Amino acid sequence: MAKKHSGVDRRGFLAGIAAGGAGAAAAGVAPTAAAAAGETPANPPIVPNASAALPGPRLVAQETGTPAPDVDRWHVHNAGSDYMVDCIKHVGFDYITCMPGSTFRGLQESVTNYGGNSKPELLSCVHEEISSGIAMGYAQMAGKPMAIIVHNTVGLQHASMNIYNAYAARVPMVIFVGNIADGATRRPGVEWYHTATDVAAIVRGFIKYDSSPQSLQSFGEEVMKATSLATTPLMGPSLVIVDADLAEMPNDQKQLPLPKYVPVRPPVADPAALADVAKLLVNAQSPIIVADRCARTADGMALLVQLAEALQIPVVDYGNRMNFPTNHHLNGSFDRTLLGKADVVLGLELTDLFGLVGDVPDFPIRASTMRIKPTTTVISINAMYLQGSGNYQDQQRFYNPTMPIAGDSEASLPYLLDAVNRAMTSERRAQNPARAAAFVDSFSKRRQADLELASTSWDASPITVGRWVAEVYNQIKNDDFSLVSGTFYQGQFPNRLWDLDKYHHICSDGGAYGVGEGLPSAVGAAIAARDQGRYSVNFNGDGDFMVAPGTLWTASHHKIPLLTVIHNNRAWHQETMHLQRMASRRERGPEKARTGTLITDPNIDFAKFAQSMGVYAEGPISQPDQLAPAIARALKVVKSGMPALIDIVSQPR
Amino acid sequence: MNRIATRFASFTLALAAALLVAMHGASAQGSPSAAATAPPGDAARGKADFLSFGCYECHGTVAQGNYGTGARLAPHPPPWSVVSSYVRRPAGDMPSFSVKILPDATLADIYAYLMSIPAGKPSSQIPLLNSTLTPK
Amino acid sequence: MAKKKAGVDRRAFLAGIAAGGAGAAAAGVAPTPAAAAAPQSAATLPAVANGSASLPGPRLVAQEVGTPAVEIDRWHVHNAGSDYMVDCLKHVGFDYITCMPGSTFRGLQESITNYGGNSKPELLSCTHEEISAAMAHGYAKMAHKPMAIIVHNTVGLQHASMGIYNAYADRVPMLILVGNIADGATRRPGVEWYHTATDVAQIVRGYVKYDAQPLSLQSFGEEIMKATSLALTPVQEPTLVTVDADLAELPNDAKLLPLPKFVPVRPPVADPAALADVAKALAGAQTPVIVADRVARTPAGMALLVQLAETLQIPVVDIGNRMNFPTNHHLYAAFDRGLIAQADVILGLEVGDFFSVVGDVPDFPVRQSVMKIKPTTTTIHINSMYLQGEGNYQDQQRYYNPTMPIAGDAEASLPYLIDAINRAVTSERKAQNTARASRFTDAWTKRRQNDIATAGFGWDASPIAVPRMYAEVHNLVKGDAFSIVGPTGQMGAWSQRLWDLDQPYHYNGGSGASGVGYQMPAAVGAALAARDQGRYAINFQGDGDLMVQPGSLWTAAHHKIPLLTIVHNNRAWHQEAMHLQRIANRRERQPEHATLGTLINNPNIDYAKMAQSFGVYGEGPISNPDQLGPAIARALKVVKNGMPALVDVVSQPR
Repeated sequence: MAKKHSGVDRRGFLAGIAAGGAGAAAAGVAPTAAAAAGETPANPPIVPNASAALPGPRLVAQETGTPAPDVDRWHVHNAGSDYMVDCIKHVGFDYITCMPGSTFRGLQESVTNYGGNSKPELLSCVHEEISSGIAMGYAQMAGKPMAIIVHNTVGLQHASMNIYNAYAARVPMVIFVGNIADGATRRPGVEWYHTATDVAAIVRGFIKYDSSPQSLQSFGEEVMKATSLATTPLMGPSLVIVDADLAEMPNDQKQLPLPKYVPVRPPVADPAALADVAKLLVNAQSPIIVADRCARTADGMALLVQLAEALQIPVVDYGNRMNFPTNHHLNGSFDRTLLGKADVVLGLELTDLFGLVGDVPDFPIRASTMRIKPTTTVISINAMYLQGSGNYQDQQRFYNPTMPIAGDSEASLPYLLDAVNRAMTSERRAQNPARAAAFVDSFSKRRQADLELASTSWDASPITVGRWVAEVYNQIKNDDFSLVSGTFYQGQFPNRLWDLDKYHHICSDGGAYGVGEGLPSAVGAAIAARDQGRYSVNFNGDGDFMVAPGTLWTASHHKIPLLTVIHNNRAWHQETMHLQRMASRRERGPEKARTGTLITDPNIDFAKFAQSMGVYAEGPISQPDQLAPAIARALKVVKSGMPALIDIVSQPR
Repeated sequence: MNRIATRFASFTLALAAALLVAMHGASAQGSPSAAATAPPGDAARGKADFLSFGCYECHGTVAQGNYGTGARLAPHPPPWSVVSSYVRRPAGDMPSFSVKILPDATLADIYAYLMSIPAGKPSSQIPLLNSTLTPK
Repeated sequence: MAKKKAGVDRRAFLAGIAAGGAGAAAAGVAPTPAAAAAPQSAATLPAVANGSASLPGPRLVAQEVGTPAVEIDRWHVHNAGSDYMVDCLKHVGFDYITCMPGSTFRGLQESITNYGGNSKPELLSCTHEEISAAMAHGYAKMAHKPMAIIVHNTVGLQHASMGIYNAYADRVPMLILVGNIADGATRRPGVEWYHTATDVAQIVRGYVKYDAQPLSLQSFGEEIMKATSLALTPVQEPTLVTVDADLAELPNDAKLLPLPKFVPVRPPVADPAALADVAKALAGAQTPVIVADRVARTPAGMALLVQLAETLQIPVVDIGNRMNFPTNHHLYAAFDRGLIAQADVILGLEVGDFFSVVGDVPDFPVRQSVMKIKPTTTTIHINSMYLQGEGNYQDQQRYYNPTMPIAGDAEASLPYLIDAINRAVTSERKAQNTARASRFTDAWTKRRQNDIATAGFGWDASPIAVPRMYAEVHNLVKGDAFSIVGPTGQMGAWSQRLWDLDQPYHYNGGSGASGVGYQMPAAVGAALAARDQGRYAINFQGDGDLMVQPGSLWTAAHHKIPLLTIVHNNRAWHQEAMHLQRIANRRERQPEHATLGTLINNPNIDYAKMAQSFGVYGEGPISNPDQLGPAIARALKVVKNGMPALVDVVSQPR
């Protein structure tokens, strides 16, 4: 229950007046006789009916000798939510995504009319899943979190999947949820459906922290704490409840000034452990580095390049973050032989270590296999070791490496680099040119092979992924752009063939593979890119697009320069393949297996849909020769500061 | 049906009853007695204000009102004396528009707009409004 | 962990072969030397020969070990468990199962298609699991039978959660199937871990009536029956059963008991002694009122309520969450709430929020409670919700204890109450009925006349007035059998005011928990039921709600559902716009900025074009009311041909 304001308990105060206290008659209050006579057992205490006028501030002051209250029958001044906006500004949120909801109307009005709708600025979303998805993409590109505000129960339910995705992706956000803690102040109906005793229950298990502050003093502290926890590795979403009474009643307490917001210094790996790691790397014959959620900032990528070059160690980049330049000779992401030959494997923020060293192939009998030699030394530096959470399985399968080391990889890299430089011998250094040459050679060969692969069936219709990815790149390659989507469904052709060597070139962590995350998170990343002076490009599957298509209206409404290319294979193709496998396995009905996995009959016209949202769009394009001019026209719109979409009738993969 | 109907409907009826009493005798759009007590106002500005200050949200853009929301205010708006005080100190669910946020001059313009809204055809002359009058 | 099959433990069996057991060499298995010799160190797993080794085919195994041919080899599975799961679903009688495909339940999906023939149940394709849940919600109310939904674990259930919450608050049954891979050792890395949880139903516990995680096919069948039974027994609610992927994808080699006949539970009725008291109170009352909320659970409910009301000529305030009472009956009093204030006896039937009938908490800065009834009023409540409790959520609304709280299902209790009244009523009292009926007939007629008069205001306005919109539609549909499948209360309930809605199928109620986004997909689900019953459906659709799950329209086109959607396009989340206006005014600052973040404009969304992009006939935006009639007529033609259509009407906000 929200703590009542110190001093005057307004309900008691006014009830006193209503029941005939001093000055009531003078104020024109006319309690019903029954009220004056006291309560009857069958019905709750009666307050005079709505037509009675309450004393104005001057009268109260006159009668009671206290200063005029900030609240009268119709008005509230110095509402608590103004202070809440002060807190939000204090920790520095630039944006707050919002599908409006009455549980947080007080805060929303303060964001607009007190905070000037700037830092934070409201971003309008047609579904709270878009609110959380945008925040997820934004934080990855901006390097700072976004706040989201959702309606209680129904809004948080809506937002839940992308909160889970963000949690799995280790991406920070602060989730504000409206609530009306005191049952006696809830209006009947809607305000009860949109309240819960334990608001965060449905997301507990995939958020890092939640709290329910009962006073404005506590609110300010909790906002700082939640933001701090969200942004300290292992990063993730955190949640603070916005009580409606706190927000809508006057702020009559004196709050302590908020302390300066100082981010927590991330945990680093034990230098003694890093010394051991350095020795292993220096002495290894065929070491590899596997980087997953390593580079949290551009520094991370630069440090990883330095580390790799120190010993000419190839780096396998999983692609969830921009860990390593795609055009660097040591980028070994697509060399499948490296792992099997490795004698030392260094994993940096590897969420799924088992999935690296082993596999469970999809056969009727699920048997586990190992992919590394039994003698391989596996080292894992991971902030995930510092966190546990129940119920969800985002920590993946248990695998204990030879050296598990707790600490944030990016923060540890400078120390690891130092240790490597100290452990280096001149003999070992002398090997570098030859090693480099070998990797330059294999990189070139692999890239050549990928170019040939991309050119296969160049003129086919439906259009091959190799073709349309190349057509897009051809028109953006001289610009400073951000690719704000994953590329797994496109054969990772951008990672294979494009020269992506700046941290902001790619932003793609999808987290828990909840379908539908792609479009809102692309828009979120594109907002950050726009603020940094860049346009963005997004490759979006059609099934993912259809989950939250209204995201396009947000992109249009807020003028976000984002080119979305629909990889339109007219299916939830991943599931099509799964069902095909099932039918083949059971030796029946292979032609019918894909029932319920196709998005056809009718075909969706994504260009028309986009236009209905006010977004420039073309398509469906099934002839590859039409691609270049269409992309050019769309890019023109994007470079002028607005979103655009191209629907490409595409090969499934 | 929405809970809001519960609260507003009973109040709306009460207000409508009060206003009907107050308006007894007014026949044409903007009766002389009602207009006489209103300060001068600009209907065109008033229309813009009716929208920008949010009156339309509950009362509709031509002040036609609806059940479960704001009362009908046109044609034949309540007298200026009723409107000008009610808007500041509403007795029902309407939020207050105090002088601080809605100066008298602006309210006068809005009132002029209300007075300018023409009466349409009565329902008896609208063929589509031909619901049966005899219940089962 | 899924229980291993009785008899042969397949993993051990095949591991035995791989490690060089009898006949392995003859079968052509070639374990790598390292694999055969490697000790089981803590850091490595038992090695199985990597992908290149072939396993013995069925005939060879049979030859070698003298057991019947196995149903599983390296690539194939026969008699998969999910075939039996489909048998279970057919056994309890589901006609449909909504589905956004997900790999955790791929085995079951394939069985539905290739074993079950994609009929009873038939797969309904949805672009979001929220649509899956809301379709089931709308369908069940119109069809009076539940739909099953199948969702992907974690992410799919998260997606569906609000739709499930709405259904729970609305007391509507559905069966939620959730894929899961209980055994960590059989999960493929990556996706299959993100899409598994230890406690699958945790995120919806609090708003499902029951959930189970069966570990065998025997148990699965029983749980399906139990979950369906619980879902259908008042208070009706969603229930959940997990579908373990190992159970679904491995062969069914258990001897399963035949499933018992599915017999629905007889609902609980109110104590006859209590009903006798109720009858006495009603018969002795001067100004009784009936308040009906979720009474009509079956098509028989409306007729029973009419019968009850007519015994004593008691007016009925139909709150509208179900089609409880004919709108053209002289005792239909939904719009005469003043009767409640004057009542001496109020009989509530399945009222979700009794406090709001008798009291209120007006939206002022200081929230005070007020009573709307006289202190001497007798309040009676027959409600099956008294039989259920659930934590955390506040769907039970505010506590209010009536004079006579009675546990039982209202519809099932009505015949007994009617009997009790007939026994309790005196001839004097019965003689009053004619005068009472005549009084209420007068009141009804006056109210309708007043509504007709009111409807004319703003008739030619642009944006188009809501009564105009409703009247134009009514004009074109009034001779047909139709169902209204979206709520109408927030726009003034004009269909209830002016149309003659007197069939159980005429109206389908609202969202339950006021979660925005219910309406479009629920309308599609309800329209499907209406179609199967030979009718088309009409949906007066808010724009904000439509934008939550616009993909529902594609489902309507894909499955050929005759649904006419009229978009009440006020270009805003208007309810919230009014809320923000209130707050700005309250704080006496910048009322002109209040609605920032509540408007859906700039750009305006073109809903007709959006509908067309999904293969749905669409017209609009229409801002000239004279164009409305012809546009609706064209759209209706499409709908009567069996396909969905949409008309975008630029509307007054309310």
